[in-house]
Amino acid sequence: MVFNSLQFLWFFPVVYALYRACPVVFGVERGLRAQNWLLLAASYYFYAAWDYRFVVLLAASTIVDFTCGLVLDRLTDQRRRRLVMTLSIVFNLSLLGFFKYFNFFSANLAALFAALGWRLDFVTVKVLLPIGISFYTFVTMSYVIDVYRREIRPTRNFVDFAVFVAYFPHLVAGPILRATTLLPQIARPRRASRDQIVQGLWLIAWGFFQKIFVADNLAPIASRVFAHGAQPTGINVLLGAYAFAFQIYGDFAGYSNIARGTSKLMGIELIDNFRFPYLVSTPQAFWRHWHISLSTWLRDYLYIPLGGSRGSPAQTRRNLLITMFLGGLWHGAAWTFVLWGVYQGALLVFYRPYAAAIDRWRGVRRVVAWFVMFHLTCLGWLIFRAASLRDLATLTRNLMTQFAPASIDAGLLVPLLLYASPLVVIHVVEARADDVLVVPRLPIGVRYSIYAATLYLILLFGNFGGAEFIYFQF
Amino acid sequence: MRGRRALLFVAIAAAQFAMFEAALRIWGHSEAAPSFQALFMPDPVIGYRLQPNARTRFETAEFDTTIAINGQGVRDDREIGPKPPGERRIVVLGDSLVLSVQVDVRQTFCRLLEDRLNQASLQGARRVHYRVINAGVQGYGPVEELLFYREIARAFEPDLVIETIFVGNDAEDAVASASKLRAPSTAQPADRSISDAVSESLVSRLRRVVRRSMVLQVLRLRVVSVTDRLSNWVTPPEAPLQTYAARPAPRIADGLRISRECVEAIASDAAGIHAKTMVLLIPARFQVDDADYRHLKAAVEGTGGQLVRDGASERFNDALSSLPIPRFDALPALRAALPGPDVFFQQTVHLTPRGHQIVAAALEAFLHKEGI
Repeated sequence: MVFNSLQFLWFFPVVYALYRACPVVFGVERGLRAQNWLLLAASYYFYAAWDYRFVVLLAASTIVDFTCGLVLDRLTDQRRRRLVMTLSIVFNLSLLGFFKYFNFFSANLAALFAALGWRLDFVTVKVLLPIGISFYTFVTMSYVIDVYRREIRPTRNFVDFAVFVAYFPHLVAGPILRATTLLPQIARPRRASRDQIVQGLWLIAWGFFQKIFVADNLAPIASRVFAHGAQPTGINVLLGAYAFAFQIYGDFAGYSNIARGTSKLMGIELIDNFRFPYLVSTPQAFWRHWHISLSTWLRDYLYIPLGGSRGSPAQTRRNLLITMFLGGLWHGAAWTFVLWGVYQGALLVFYRPYAAAIDRWRGVRRVVAWFVMFHLTCLGWLIFRAASLRDLATLTRNLMTQFAPASIDAGLLVPLLLYASPLVVIHVVEARADDVLVVPRLPIGVRYSIYAATLYLILLFGNFGGAEFIYFQF
Repeated sequence: MRGRRALLFVAIAAAQFAMFEAALRIWGHSEAAPSFQALFMPDPVIGYRLQPNARTRFETAEFDTTIAINGQGVRDDREIGPKPPGERRIVVLGDSLVLSVQVDVRQTFCRLLEDRLNQASLQGARRVHYRVINAGVQGYGPVEELLFYREIARAFEPDLVIETIFVGNDAEDAVASASKLRAPSTAQPADRSISDAVSESLVSRLRRVVRRSMVLQVLRLRVVSVTDRLSNWVTPPEAPLQTYAARPAPRIADGLRISRECVEAIASDAAGIHAKTMVLLIPARFQVDDADYRHLKAAVEGTGGQLVRDGASERFNDALSSLPIPRFDALPALRAALPGPDVFFQQTVHLTPRGHQIVAAALEAFLHKEGI
């Protein structure tokens, strides 16, 4: 089920009404248990609505990691504890590896052997990618690692743990939540405050705006430029990269906002996943503002265990490159994602000596640094969005050698300006206040104007085609 | 306090409504625009038709045209008077593919055909002046075309009537409009209850308000789209493009039968004034455009259907084959023009100026070959 579907239009009000009724009908304590059972059933229904067969995987991952958590808590021998943690990680990575990367690796291996003159007939398996698998395996892995590190105590309540893993607002496209954030909220009685309800409703409206007005309207613009075999001139490649930059931001941040908003209505706080990422001046800052739950996960469970920045500069550079390479591969089984990860790693390595100084820049120097960083980000999106490495080579060549400003396509430029500018305005307002929830706190006339304009723009110009969210494929 | 806040929100929403309404009227050129809708007027028999002497400019990302309707209610920048001696008139009945608001009137296949016939006539022994009258109206199907011929176009004294069938949707249109062929209701207003009359008047007033506002028209379309999707969800939708389906719904056979009866009726009426009749079949864009076909094929297969690319053309050819009327299918000529610039616009399913040229040339060749 997707947030922008008719199913969700009835699903959420029904679940929410029952959720609010639980404490009224059963009292506080029993009401909490009823709410958690309700969230569990609703979350599994939400997931099964996409493909019921993969519910088994979700349940298996939940049972294995709940058990590992309990075993880890009981064990004192460090070697045996490490073995249990390793088993959990191997189990989760095997799920991810098989369902997400089997076809990619088998096809590439066959191609490699073919290049060497050997013909290998692999067993071809049509492996479907279970939606959200990259997200919930990372959630359960972080739980087991945190218990192993004794940073948290495992929960002994299976329903609480199952809700933590499957909680429908974040299940299929994040944010990737930590047990420290979500489990305590699931375990205690909760009631949404008036502020939470106002903020939640705004986040839902703004999330739909980002998805339906910005992302889904920019998608055909970007698709025209990135179509397989297309030969756009350099200026139009640039416009396509801008369009995709706002499309992917609108799509993913929109999903995160709807997730946060629906969760706030239920009195549960999820973390910010995006904080105006296109207004930063360095790649270090970009990754502190873009898909924050993934970048902090990679930092805490990959970069730091690899040694982080504790070793020599060369080791730090290696650690950054490995982390971002794997971060790129997490996004999907394709060489363009791998290349994008390496590119992001290279940017982090290159900027590392200067990042702190650049972050302190003000005035013209800051504008120049922002301009350069925004275009480096867009260049990254070019790699990310290209249909193949060959298409990427064509687009890059056209960008560099056939810029031809006079060939600018008004059919790309005008919609790009129309659909991206409201997003940029709110982006700037939020960044100036350093608060992604600044809109509900603005003076009443201003915020009512924004509320009304958001609704009009969604209803009048939104693309109601019901396209899936890009990050579902990851 | 709450009341004041609500009032403030309503005031802001009303101000923005006015702002969006103005912006859409100035820049939002679409068929929902009141200026475009002003091209049409209600008609008690046909339902609606073009408003005589209406004029508007229609501008989208792909084209910018001025549409002028003459005093007789067809798209033409010249009036149609009594037929002068030596003039031969061809009336082309059809829907939006004939009306062709996407191109200038001089670029329509009707006008291009007229130019070609007159050019040929200048070179020939017999000096005849040809006048080709574009009698296409947006949204018409075979039923409306028959009624339009009887109500309006017969008076143009045609020598040849070309009934243009858009194979993509005319069978469905014919079914939807079949009731118009029956005699109009004789029920008197006095037969209806007062509450019926009041509610109808409220509904029609509301409809008028919605029709006059661009914002409300778009919102209405949103509501219709949601209710459609809801009803599709309750009852699984049938695959789209039923005229092309490997196993079409039973109504398609009805639509083909009604279409054939309409063509027969037009031919019979035309024969009454010594005019000939022929049929022109226009294909859908995906029958010519491979990429469009692949996309639609996948979409239809996604809903459990099976798309036969030329199914609708074949079905219309079969349905009309029993009539002793010449029939010209534009599909081979349009297909033969590829590869090359598009013959259909990308954002609509209508012919580009090049598409009109191809149809006009092929149609002229057919008329000569058939000696019509």
